[in-house]
Parts: sequence; C-alpha cells; structure tokens
Amino acid sequence: MFVVGASGAGKSTFLKLIMREEKPSGGEIISNGYKLSKLKHKDIPMYRRTMGMVFQDFRLIPTMDVFDNVAFAMHVVGADKQTIRKEVPKVLNLVGLQHKARALPFQLSGGEQQRVGLARALINRPKIIVADEPTGNVYPNMSYEIVELLNRINKAGTTILMVTHEHNLVRDFHHRVIMLENGRIVADNAEGV
Amino acid sequence: MRKSTGYLFREGLKNVWANRLMSIASIGVLVACMTIIGLAILVTSNLNKGMNDLQNENVVMAYFNDKNSVLYPIDGSQIPKDKNISEDKYLVHNEEEAKAVCEKIKALSFVSNVEYISADAALENYKNNYVDGDSAYLVYLEGDENPMSMCAKVTFNNLDNFDSYKEQIKAIEGVNVVVGASDVAKTVNNISDAVAVAGLFIIVILMIIALVIVSNTIRVTMYNRKLEISIMKAVGATDSFIRLPFLIEGIVLGLISALLSLGITYGVYALAGDKIKQALGGTGLIAFRTMLPRLAVIYVLLGILAGIIGSFIILSKYLKKEGSEFSAL
Repeated sequence: MFVVGASGAGKSTFLKLIMREEKPSGGEIISNGYKLSKLKHKDIPMYRRTMGMVFQDFRLIPTMDVFDNVAFAMHVVGADKQTIRKEVPKVLNLVGLQHKARALPFQLSGGEQQRVGLARALINRPKIIVADEPTGNVYPNMSYEIVELLNRINKAGTTILMVTHEHNLVRDFHHRVIMLENGRIVADNAEGV
Repeated sequence: MRKSTGYLFREGLKNVWANRLMSIASIGVLVACMTIIGLAILVTSNLNKGMNDLQNENVVMAYFNDKNSVLYPIDGSQIPKDKNISEDKYLVHNEEEAKAVCEKIKALSFVSNVEYISADAALENYKNNYVDGDSAYLVYLEGDENPMSMCAKVTFNNLDNFDSYKEQIKAIEGVNVVVGASDVAKTVNNISDAVAVAGLFIIVILMIIALVIVSNTIRVTMYNRKLEISIMKAVGATDSFIRLPFLIEGIVLGLISALLSLGITYGVYALAGDKIKQALGGTGLIAFRTMLPRLAVIYVLLGILAGIIGSFIILSKYLKKEGSEFSAL
C-alpha cells in the first residue's frame, strides 16, 4: 500500500501515529491487535517488535558493521546467538548483501544502505513493514530495485505500508494507494493508479 | 533481557572504543576532577596529621609539692630564710612518693603519658635547654643545692578541655603547680578543627563540580548518540536494553579514570613529598601506601557514580520522549 500526498498533507503524522510515536487525540488506532491510544509506555517496545521500520535516511548505527546492524534488531527481542548466526545471513542473502556482511555503513552506497535497513526491518518477521520514503536518498535506478524487493516481501505475506513522493513508482507497481490532503483521506484506490 | 545481558555488556565495552574521542574527553575530565579531589584529601590528611603531631608534642609539666617547692616557690613569693623545713610542710618527700603521684596522674582518662623527672634530671634538662654557652656556674646548684622540684612531664590524649585537665591534675594531692602553654593548645585545637572543616568543605565542593562537569560531558555524548538511541527505540528496544550498555560504558570509563587518577596522584604526591622534605627537613608526608585504600575506594565510587548518573538521569530524558524515531534528528 502506498500513502501519498503533498508536503504537510499529514503523511508523517500518520506514520508517527502508527508507530505510536504520538498518541491519537481522538478516535482509535488498532494495529496488530494493539489499541494504540491505550498503549502504556512500557508496552510500546513490544508493539514495535511486531513491525519493521525503514527510514528515508537509513538510520544504521555507524559504528556497527552490516551484520551487527541487522543482528541488533534480533538482540533487542532477546534472540540467542545460534538463531542470530543462522537468520542474519539468510536475510542478507535475500536483500543481496551477503558479501558485504562485514562492511561498515559508510563503505556502502545509498541503495546498499537502504537494503541493510530493509534487512533489519525484516529480520524479526514482522506482520507490517512501515517504510518512510525508502527511495528518497537512493539513485533512481536503485529505487526500483528497493520497491521490487518490498514487492517480493509483500507477496510472501507481509503488509507493506510505504510513504512516497515518487509518482512513477506508484504508477508502475499496482497496489492500493491512499492519498492524504490536509490530514484527511481524499482518495483510496484499491487497484492503484 | 537476561539472554541479552552478555551481549549488552560486550556492547558497552565496545562502545568505549567505538566512541573513543568522547571516551577520552570523559576520562580527561574525570581524571582531572578525581586527581584534584585526591590531592585535596591528601593535603587535608597531612595537615591533620601535622596537627596531631603538634598535639602530641603539647605537654604540661606538673611540679610536685616537695621540699624545694617550699624553699623556692615557683610563684616568686618570698624564699624562706631557714632551710630546715619540717617534713609536714610538704607532701612529696622522696622518689617513691613522687612516682605514686605520677601513677595517680596517669590514671586520669585524658592523660596518655606521664614521665617522672627527678630533681637532678630537671637540673640537667635546664642546663641543656635553657643555658646558652658556659654552664659552669651551675655547678654550685648541684647536689644539695639543687633548687629544682621533682616533676612529671604529662602528655594529654586530646586538647578539648585543656584548662580543666590542668585543674584536675593540680587537684591531685602532691602536685604543687601545673605549667603548660594553654594558648598554644587552644590554637592548635582550633586550627585542627578548621583544617578538618575546610578540608571537608573543599572536597564536597570539588565533588559537586566534578559531577556537574561529568554529567555535562555525558550529556554531549548522549546528544551525539541520539541517532543510536532513536534506532534502538524504533526496533522495539526496552528502556533497560538501551540503558545497560550506556551504564557499562560509564562504569568502565569511571574505572579507567580511577586507575589513571591513582597513578597521577601518586606521582604528584611523591614529587611534592620530596620537595617538602627538602624544604622543611621534617618527617615528610603520610606514606601513600596508607592512603591508597581510601583513595582507591573514593575514586572507584566517584567513577561508578558518574557512570550511573550519566546513564540513568540523563538518558531518562531521551527515553521518556516517545518521539524522535521519525522526526528529523
């Protein structure tokens, strides 16, 4: 699913609400079985573990190599060493970065960094992946590759919620499109545009 | 969480190296503060020791009520013309009785030492200490002509009630007069108290300054690592998961600083000790070895405290906020 809209339309607020960075002032958001308006501070981490997040600026820890950046998300949920050693290479393989496991983020291109971000979002097998303009900081030819990867993940059964500015991506991948304007949904096309 | 403890511990250690510039800055600040505090403690301890030494030096002389005390009154009153004084006019007739009085003085709780000095020894002391140059004329004062009274050198174990102590000794039967520099005692006592209070005051102020500087250094570190914290939160890390590596990192930095501070303090102290010895020719300073356990405990506690303050109080500010995962950093 794509979420589109001009600057100030409410895309970021929508993401903040869905990640429970902000509390809704009215109404109710139910996501992965959690009622977000009633979620306590200590339960927020548990809720976030059911989702994967991909950021426009990648948000990789600069002092950790590719493997550790991905493994980090597994450590957070308390996975043991053996599982981590088994799962991380699998996911890196999926995003095509198995040969760069020991590289540091600054040694990678924008597209590669974003694929590490994607691997990190995927590693705990979330039900939803929230991607905030994941192609915003990568070369156009890499953009397609990233969205193609998301498309494959989606086909495997994970919901992808992608906020984007890039109309050609929305046009070329036929998925549901929600358009926001002034904080309201002005269009919702199930078959894409 | 328990499964991750080993990982978080290793992460904390790795962070010390990964953020080495900030680590060096934090260690530098901590070492400077700790060394200053350590030196202040050493200076105060040495001043206190000096004062104690002075107190121990501070003695009173208790002159006994013997025959000479009647013949040659210490208060300067008229010397009796007749030297044949009946024995009932004075209380201490011989050395045994004088030593008995000494025992009575020794029994007082505030007395740490009593040294009996015979009339002959007193004259000898007088010759040695008070007469410059030719003491040949004093030969006439020897033997039966010796004007000195038997006396005792009394050392107090404290100077809290110096005048009252003197009175209590004087009240003992057989003691004629007690002579001692009461003003000096009072001054020493006052200086000793002042040194203790001022030392404590300076150390407390330095500790507060150290904690303020350290917490500011940690705040800068935290600011630099906001990104890391926001990522941790975004992937669902609990507060304690984020905190533990920072806590370990803080404690490790504190311990390294404690070790370095001990070394530097030792160096400065050894150097200063030599110089002071040369300048004063005195007994020198308290041995560093005797101060080492106390300093080590203080340094380690300060280091750990800095680590805990850094990770708990300041990190809490970032952890309480729900935001910053999507917001621009």
